[in-house]
Amino acid sequence: MENSQNVPVVKVDDLVIHYETRDGVVEAVNGVSFTINKADTFGLVGETGAGKTTIALAMLGLLPYPPTHIIRGSVEIGGHDIEKMSPAQLQKVRGKKVSMIFQDPMTALNPVIPIGDQIAEVVMLHEKVSKAEAEKRALEMLQMVGIRPERYKEFPHALSGGMKQRVVIAIALACNPELLIADEPTTALDVTIQAQVLDMIKELRDKFGTALMLITHDFGLVAEICNKCAVVYAGEIVEMGTVEDIFDRPQHPYTIGLFESIPSLDKDTERLKPVKGQIIDPTDLPPYCSFYDRCDHCTEECRKGDPSLVEVGPGHFVKCMYAKKEGN
Amino acid sequence: MPILQVEHLKKYFPVPNGILHAVDDVSFTLDAGKTLGVVGESGCGKSTLGKTILRLTDPTAGRVVFEGKDVASLHAKEFHRLRPDMQMIFQDPYASLDPRLTVRKLIAEPMEIYKTQPSKAALEKRVDELMDTVSLASRFANSYPHELDGGRRQRIGIARALALNPKLIVCDEPVSALDVSIQAQVLNLLQDLQKDLGLTYIFVTHDMSVVKHISDDIIVMYLGQIVEKAPAKELFRQHWHPYTKALLSAIPIPSLHNRPNRVIMQGELSSPINPPDCCRFAGRCAYCTEACKSGKTPPLSEVAPGHFVACHRVREIQDIPAESACAERGAPNGSPCHEAV
Repeated sequence: MENSQNVPVVKVDDLVIHYETRDGVVEAVNGVSFTINKADTFGLVGETGAGKTTIALAMLGLLPYPPTHIIRGSVEIGGHDIEKMSPAQLQKVRGKKVSMIFQDPMTALNPVIPIGDQIAEVVMLHEKVSKAEAEKRALEMLQMVGIRPERYKEFPHALSGGMKQRVVIAIALACNPELLIADEPTTALDVTIQAQVLDMIKELRDKFGTALMLITHDFGLVAEICNKCAVVYAGEIVEMGTVEDIFDRPQHPYTIGLFESIPSLDKDTERLKPVKGQIIDPTDLPPYCSFYDRCDHCTEECRKGDPSLVEVGPGHFVKCMYAKKEGN
Repeated sequence: MPILQVEHLKKYFPVPNGILHAVDDVSFTLDAGKTLGVVGESGCGKSTLGKTILRLTDPTAGRVVFEGKDVASLHAKEFHRLRPDMQMIFQDPYASLDPRLTVRKLIAEPMEIYKTQPSKAALEKRVDELMDTVSLASRFANSYPHELDGGRRQRIGIARALALNPKLIVCDEPVSALDVSIQAQVLNLLQDLQKDLGLTYIFVTHDMSVVKHISDDIIVMYLGQIVEKAPAKELFRQHWHPYTKALLSAIPIPSLHNRPNRVIMQGELSSPINPPDCCRFAGRCAYCTEACKSGKTPPLSEVAPGHFVACHRVREIQDIPAESACAERGAPNGSPCHEAV
């Protein structure tokens, strides 16, 4: 049993993605690699424009071409490279093996189809079942996400934001996928509703044994449900490891800066320590460390080359010239 | 000496199926140079409260007294003279700036309307000063808002609010559209400006860690009413109202240690349209009794110096955790017993 928990569900290897725009080439993802195992809840943390959502869309083969160009790298789902799949094969992966919860539940649902039918639709698409059986499954899913079965025939507009997100989650989990990608699933929700939805995601994840990738800007959510975590800056993973690595022994100046700029609830701080400067322009990345301009610890050395991701402890990677081996 | 007194302020909106009680009998006073944080979830009336105080919308009842003058009863002309003293920073720096004006024009606009600068040269100089104050590099003076990122845009919003030397600024979620690393920069800027210019802030937000950081006093709102009011540090040390407890415990803490015991609240905000006479939180409250559901709205009572709570059972429930309150009422172990009305 122990072994099956460490089976990789998804392997992303050296992924490089560019968008071609009128203002130049946006280097959105620059050599990202990670693996998500069956038992993992993997947090992908970063700020606006870091490339988090692009990575997720690439994992589902959903990036529009053009303007997107996958320059190199691969995404393997269950051992199969999705680049090599035909559109029909991809169709079978999406929703069945990997599904996604989008940020905005208001726009993720079809406004003119009853919510129950939207769940049944996925089931019918992926499994050879009759309409009645699919509807039965949809009813079960609705109950599982805490919506009364009487509401099966209601339209999305009759539901609150939290309820809509529950429906989206029901759709995502209806075919028992191996990996669920949740892209800022609670950002549009109030904090008390967020707590409810998060609890439900946790419960369902454990029940279905689904691996989870959580995309967020909120370290609070990561602490809440993840066991592994990667911090993304300018399309690169700057630090990756277990949540203990990231929260208790962060090394990258950006990770540390992010933690310091969050006002604390249990300590009284007079003044916050923001990360200086602005988020870097992804059309104009330097050949050296892309955090250089905002870093308080940078030296001339940092301009000489782009540091690589170094393993500083077992499974803990840091992309910085000055990364130190743990325990020294 | 309070700069602002809000007395029994009400703002109702007629809607097709009744009357929406957006702000319902809110009273507080605010001293000059202080920051009042207003927190609550979407739909609790916190933004409407801010707008009604500035008379961007007229109150249904109640008074807003700013430096001794009742804002709502002033005639248009008198009010026009008062407006420069009371300004607002808006939530969305993407929607609150005219896309066809340059940064320089945007910041000059309030001063042109009020003709505060004697000459064009003086105006230009003041715009430069303001850009400097909010740390916007002068190279952006001729840029348009779409060319700037969220943090810089919000700085334009702040510069506009400062242009007429206000005394009171209502900040309506000024940092919620910004990334955390930029959010911290803007929060520091707001604090520096307060110190240097002696500003008074009303800071409306849903983010508890931000409000704790910036406020002197905090009011917690639920469906248009204040349920708890206390000095900021005191509120986070000791909170009494069941809603405040649930709200604070729902915040995800960015740390693996000292994780709080979570009180998961059931149900969602009930409707602010024709709300019942009783305690508005009753339907979601773990401690609610029949009396709470049938009685009147509980008044704010002082539980500690400067700390007010609106709850019928405030004294009895302080030491009972929500789970055992639910268990007492026959709910299975650990499961919450309360449901939305």
